Amino acid sequence: MAKTYDYLFKLLLIGDSGVGKTCVLFRFSEDAFNSTFISTIGIDFKIRTIELEGKKIKLQIWDTAGQERFRTITTAYYRGAMGIMLVYDITNEKSFYNIRTWIRNIEEHASNDVEKMILGNKCDMNDRRQVSKEKGEALAVEYGVKFLETSAKASINVEEGFISLARDIKAKMDRKLEASNPSNRTAHQLKNEPSKKSRKWSCALL
Amino acid sequence: MYLISYPIRSVYEGPEPSHFEERLDHRIKNHDKEIERMCNYHYQGFIESVRGLLQVRTDVECLKLEINKTNDDLQNSGDSLLGRGGDLVKLRKTQRNIESAVDALSLCLPVLETYGKLKEQLRLKRYYPALKTLEQLEHSHLPRVSKYKFLQPMCETIPTLRDSIKDASMTDLKDFLESIRKHSEHIGHIAMKHQCAEQNKMDPSIVTTQGKKRPAPLPPKLKRKAPPPPNPFGDDVDDGTPNGRHNPFNDEGIETGDEAQDAEEGVSAQDLIDFSPVYRCLHIYSVVGARDTFESYYRKQRRKQARLALQPPPNMQDTLDGYKRYFHDIIGFFVVEDHILNTTSGLVNRAYIDELWDMALLKVVAVLRTHIGFCTDATLMLQIKNLIMLFSLTLRGYGFTVSQLYDLLLEIRDQYSEILMKKWVEVFNGIFQMDNYTPICVNTIEEYEAVTALYPFMDSRLEKSPFPKNLPFSQFVPNVYSEVKEYIYACLKFSEDLHLSQNEIDDMIRKLANVLLTRTLSGCLSELIKRPQLHLLQLIQISINMNHLEQSCVFLEDFISNITGLVKDNVHVSRLQGTSMFKDARSEAEGQIYKRINEKIDEFFDLANYDWTATDPRGQPSEYISDIIAFLQSTFIAFTNLPEKVAQTACMSACKHMASLLMELLKDHQVREISIGALQQLNLDLVQCEHFAASDPVPGLNDGTLQLAFVDLRQLMDVFLEWDWANYIADHGKATGKYIRVPPATCILLLEKMRDLDKKKSNLLASFKRNERDRKKLLDTVLKQLRQLVNGQVHFT
Repeated sequence: MAKTYDYLFKLLLIGDSGVGKTCVLFRFSEDAFNSTFISTIGIDFKIRTIELEGKKIKLQIWDTAGQERFRTITTAYYRGAMGIMLVYDITNEKSFYNIRTWIRNIEEHASNDVEKMILGNKCDMNDRRQVSKEKGEALAVEYGVKFLETSAKASINVEEGFISLARDIKAKMDRKLEASNPSNRTAHQLKNEPSKKSRKWSCALL
Repeated sequence: MYLISYPIRSVYEGPEPSHFEERLDHRIKNHDKEIERMCNYHYQGFIESVRGLLQVRTDVECLKLEINKTNDDLQNSGDSLLGRGGDLVKLRKTQRNIESAVDALSLCLPVLETYGKLKEQLRLKRYYPALKTLEQLEHSHLPRVSKYKFLQPMCETIPTLRDSIKDASMTDLKDFLESIRKHSEHIGHIAMKHQCAEQNKMDPSIVTTQGKKRPAPLPPKLKRKAPPPPNPFGDDVDDGTPNGRHNPFNDEGIETGDEAQDAEEGVSAQDLIDFSPVYRCLHIYSVVGARDTFESYYRKQRRKQARLALQPPPNMQDTLDGYKRYFHDIIGFFVVEDHILNTTSGLVNRAYIDELWDMALLKVVAVLRTHIGFCTDATLMLQIKNLIMLFSLTLRGYGFTVSQLYDLLLEIRDQYSEILMKKWVEVFNGIFQMDNYTPICVNTIEEYEAVTALYPFMDSRLEKSPFPKNLPFSQFVPNVYSEVKEYIYACLKFSEDLHLSQNEIDDMIRKLANVLLTRTLSGCLSELIKRPQLHLLQLIQISINMNHLEQSCVFLEDFISNITGLVKDNVHVSRLQGTSMFKDARSEAEGQIYKRINEKIDEFFDLANYDWTATDPRGQPSEYISDIIAFLQSTFIAFTNLPEKVAQTACMSACKHMASLLMELLKDHQVREISIGALQQLNLDLVQCEHFAASDPVPGLNDGTLQLAFVDLRQLMDVFLEWDWANYIADHGKATGKYIRVPPATCILLLEKMRDLDKKKSNLLASFKRNERDRKKLLDTVLKQLRQLVNGQVHFT
C-alpha cells in the first residue's frame, strides 16, 4: 500500500463544553457550519490533508467532549497528541478562565513537548463579548503559546490556526530529526533531489 | 171613307147622278132653314150675355183697385216684419256660435289640464304616472280634439315625451344598475351573514372582510324605503306614496326564515336596495309596449354585470378578503336576481337565472380552481374552504344547485392535504433541525407532565425514579407525535361540514395519516438519516426515538378513533402503517450507525503505514490499530444509551470491517512484495484486534462471537507465521482442519508476493546462503502444491 502522506499529525481540541470545538473542526474539515448545538459524546475525529512546504500532511484532529463525565475518555487521548488546540468562547468568561485548568491537564497528561495554541472562538459575536482580545493575548503570552481569535460560523482564522499549529509541529519535528539523526537528514535530503541538483549546478558555476 | 166612298162611287157610276144631286140640294136647303130658325131663337140671350159681361168688367176694375190698395197696405206692414226677422236670425246665429265655442272649450280644457299635469309629473320625475297621463291624453283626449290646430304640436310632442320618459326611466334604471353593482357585495355579505347565523356553528368572522374597501353603509333614506312594485292596472297608479302598503319584502318566502334575524339585524339583504327603478322602468316599458326591449336590455346588462362579478379581483389568491369580496359580489348578484324574479312577473324567469347560474358556477369553479391552485397556505385554504361552504349554503338557500362546489371542495381537500404534507415536511425538518438529540431530562413533575401531555409515555420504573429523570428519547419524539396529531386535526378541520359520513371521515383520516407517515415523515426521516453531517450520537438517538414512535402508533390509532368517533373495530378500520415505517427508519438509522463507525475505521485505515518489505516487525502494534481500538472502546463506553442489540451489531460490524480491511491490505495488488516481517507486524495488529474482541467491548457478547470476525485472518497468519504448509495441505478439504478458513488462492497470492520480494533480495544481495536456497525451494514446492489444490478444487467442483 502506497503511503499517501509525508506526515501524520495528531491534534487535539480541548476546552469547555459549548465553546465550539466541534464547530471549529467542522469548519476546518468540511468548511461548513451547523448552528444546532449537539454536544460531543466521548471522542470523535476528522482527518484533513494539507500541504506545507511541499509536504503532504495528514491532520488527524481529535475532537473531545467538553463535558466532565467524559474526562477519563478524553484525557486518554492527550498522550498521543502532537498539538493541542485550547478553545474558549469569547462570550463566556468562565470558559476563558478554565483555560488554565485545561493547561494544567495538558501538563499532567500530555507529552512535554506538545505544541499548544489558544483559540478564542465565536469572535463574530462581538456584541456579547466577555473576554477582550487583549486578555486572551496576555494569557497566551503568559504560557508562551500562539493565540488567535476565531469564528467557526464566520470562518475567521480557523484554517490559519490549524495551519499555524501544524507548521510549528512540523518545524519542531524537523528540528528533532535533524538533531537526533543526522543520517536521517541526509536521507531526507536525498529525496529532495531538485534542490540538490540546483546546488550542484551552482557549485559547477562557482 | 171606304164605307162612304163605295156609295159615292156607285152614285157617280149609276144612272142617275142628277137625281142624287137634286136630293143633296134639297137636303142643304133644309139644313139652312134649320140654322136660321135656331139663330133667331138664341139672339136675345146673346145680347143679354154681352150686357152681363160689361157689368163684370166694371166690377173687376173696382176689385182690382181694392186689391191694389190692400196689397200696398200689406207691403208696408211686411217690410218692418222682415227687418225684425232678419235681426232675429242674426242673433240666433251668434247664440249658436257661442254655444259651440263653449262646447269646444270644455272639450279642450281637460286636454290642456292633462297636458299640464303631464308636464308637472315629468318635472317631478314621476315617470310612471306621467306615462299614464300621457296615455290618457293620447287615447281619450286628443282624438276628440284633433281638429284643433293648436293641439297639433302637442300631438307631435307625444312620441318625444314618451321617449323622454323612457329615457328618463332608463337613466334611473342605469343608476339603479350601477348602484346595485356597488351594493351587491354588501348584499352578498349580509346574505352570507344570515346564512352563517343560521349555521350557528360557523364563525361569523369568516364572512366579514377586514379590508378597507368595505362598502360604505347605505344612505339611510334607502333603507326600508323600497316601494312595492306598482300595480300598473290599479287605479292608484298615480298615487306614488307607499303609505298604507305592506312591505312586500317581508312576505318573501326566502326571507321568512330570517325574519327574526332581520328584526335583530335591522335590515335584510333586499331591504337595502330600492328596487323601484326596476319596477317603474319595467312598467313604463310594458306600457309603451317595449317590454321585450326592456327585458332583453335588463337581462343583457345584468349578464354583463354577472360577468363582471365573476371576474376575480386581481391578486385574489393572496388574501382571504379577496375571496370574500368575490363571493359577496356573486351572492349579491344572485340575491338581487332572485328578488327580481320573485317580485316581477317575468322580467327574469327561472330559466334565465338558471342559465346565468350555470355560467356563473362554471366560471366560479374554474376561477377557484386556478386561484386555489396557487395557494400554499393551509390556514388560508381552510378559511377559503369555509367560505366556499358558506357560499354554497347561501346560494343553495336561494335554490341554486351547488353540487359542483362540493365536488370542488373535495378536489380542494386533496390539494389541502398536499399543502399540509408540504407544510409538515417543513415542520418535521424543523423538529429535526431543532432537536438536540439528547435524551430529555426533566427536573420537575411539571416538566415531566409537559412531556407526557404531548406524548403518551408510560414507564413505571421511570415514574418512580426521583427527579431529575432522564427520558430515553429526545424532544424529537413528543414533537413528532404531537405534530402528527396536529396534522390529523388539520385534515379533520377540512372535512368538517363536507357532509361526509363518520366512516368516510375515519377512512380519509387514516388514509391521510398513513400517507403522512409513510410518505412525508418517512421521507423526512430517511433524508435526515442519510445526512452525512449527522453525528453518531444523533443517529443513535434517532434509532431510539424510532423505537418509541413505533410504540406510539397504537395511541395514534386510538386518537383517530376518538376524534372521528368511530367505534374501534379491528375488522373494518384500515390500520396505520406507522409501525412498519418506524421500524424501517430505525433499521435505516442503525444501518447508518454501522456505516458511520465503519467509515471512521476506513479513515483510520487510510493512515495505515506498513513497511511491506521490513525484515523485522516494529515490536509493537501499529499506531492506527491502537487508535482504532481506543476509539471503539471509548465510543462504546461513551454511548451509554446505545441499545444493547445495536451496540452488539455495531461492534460485530466494526470487527468484521476491520478484518476485511486487514485482509484487503494483504491482498492489495499495489503491494507487490510482502516480507515475513511485515506479516509479523500485521499479526501484532491482529492480536490487538483479537484482544479487543475478547475484551467484552459491549455487554452481552462474551460468547466469542466477536473473535469469529478475525478467525479467517488468524488462520491465515498461523499458516504463514508457523510455515505450517504440510498440515495445511494435508488437512485441506477436511471439515476439521486447522486452516479450514484459509483458501489456497489467498495463500498463493501471498506466497507469490513473498517470492517476488525474495527474488529481488537475492538479486540485490546475490545471496547463496543455503537456508535461503532451501527456503526458496520449499516456497516453490508449496506454491506448486497449492496450485494443484486450486486446480483440483476446480475439478471437484
